[in-house]
Amino acid sequence: MDYLGYILISTGLLFFLGTTIGLLRFPDFYTRMHAAGKGDTLSTVMILIGCICLVPMGLLLALKILLIINFIFIGSPTATHAMMDAGNKAGATPWRKDSK
Amino acid sequence: MPELPIWQFDILLLILVVLFAVVALSIRNLMGAAVVFGAYSFMMCLIWAGMGAVDVAFTEAAVGAGVSTVFVVSTLYNTSATMRSRPGGLAFKLFIGLVVTIAGAFLLSALPDFPKWGASDSPVNAKVAPYYILNTIADSHVPNVVTSVLADYRGFDTLLETTVVFIACIAIYSILRVDKAKLETGEPAAAPVPRYDPGDSLIVRQASRFMVPFMQLFALYVIAHGHYSPGGGFQGGVILGASLILLAISFDLKSLLRQWSEKTLMLLVAAGVFLYAAVGLACMFMGGDYLDYVFLDSILPGEKDMARSHGILLVEIGVGITVMFSMIAIHINLASNGRFDRGL
Repeated sequence: MDYLGYILISTGLLFFLGTTIGLLRFPDFYTRMHAAGKGDTLSTVMILIGCICLVPMGLLLALKILLIINFIFIGSPTATHAMMDAGNKAGATPWRKDSK
Repeated sequence: MPELPIWQFDILLLILVVLFAVVALSIRNLMGAAVVFGAYSFMMCLIWAGMGAVDVAFTEAAVGAGVSTVFVVSTLYNTSATMRSRPGGLAFKLFIGLVVTIAGAFLLSALPDFPKWGASDSPVNAKVAPYYILNTIADSHVPNVVTSVLADYRGFDTLLETTVVFIACIAIYSILRVDKAKLETGEPAAAPVPRYDPGDSLIVRQASRFMVPFMQLFALYVIAHGHYSPGGGFQGGVILGASLILLAISFDLKSLLRQWSEKTLMLLVAAGVFLYAAVGLACMFMGGDYLDYVFLDSILPGEKDMARSHGILLVEIGVGITVMFSMIAIHINLASNGRFDRGL
């Protein structure tokens, strides 16, 4: 159980690193939001599940963390979608291979 | 379990707090500053949680990082996100800098007089705190000491804090509210600028429709369970208010106003304070002092020695009502520019 927790948390951190790099390196608004939205959600969920595995806690507390995970899983992509939609309506042009 | 390196963590967070504060002040785009300020509040929340003040962290997360960011954003929605150049030249800035430095020096000079953080012989830890910790269970059967200190031992403080929330709401209302009759005769309202409305998106609407009931259930739990776990009227009230503000943002302000008319809102803001004060008066009628819940035992259900616990619950409900509806009223005022018709 402990090792599962370690693996999950380090994978989550790895995804966070990917998110950060994507956020800094991607060329336009949409790809950056894509990196932030996807990586952020998955890595937060993984770290939280890792915490459930690592820290000895009762069933009730684990259930509460699962509820939080549920909320992040719904809330974070929705927020990303809202921002994308707002960016689209505000007229942010997507990056193309030939545009510089 | 090894001892957590809590102070290293605290120092990291403090550095981040200072960094965010500087960034929030120096950033030129006010929308960006609002977001950074939300992050600042969240770091403060983590620091409170690290110090073990979970009740405060709760409030900071809900008010500082959540609702106040929405307030700032809805203010910017009606004004402008770009900052005009500051008044005054170099001399003015130097003067401001001098004033701030002197005031800061005075504050710092008082620092050595304070007792050390967490020192056991400081007046707070030597006299007041042990009394609360030792007597809470016997007095009011409330395991969460913070709640019993807040609503029972220092009930007057909390009554006046609730009144402050009420007065703040009234003040914002009286400043921002525009009379519709006056508006029609006066200058025409600025043409509505087509802006992005999150309510256009089905995904946002459905997600918030799914989340709001859980938020409200959790808020009621926070109010009712505040005796046993961190939380209480302030926190639960803010979460309830935030859930309705989320609805207002993801649908539109009109649908919120259809449910809660302006009159109902303001009446309920006052009703919360009234409930708190009425509980105190009821204690006086039963022969005790103001807010002395022990004397309510004959009219409250349950065991005789639980009277104080139930009294605290009543008071917390009053606080929750006031906080919830003042949050909503402030948001509607800010978002609709005081017109109570439509907005963010």
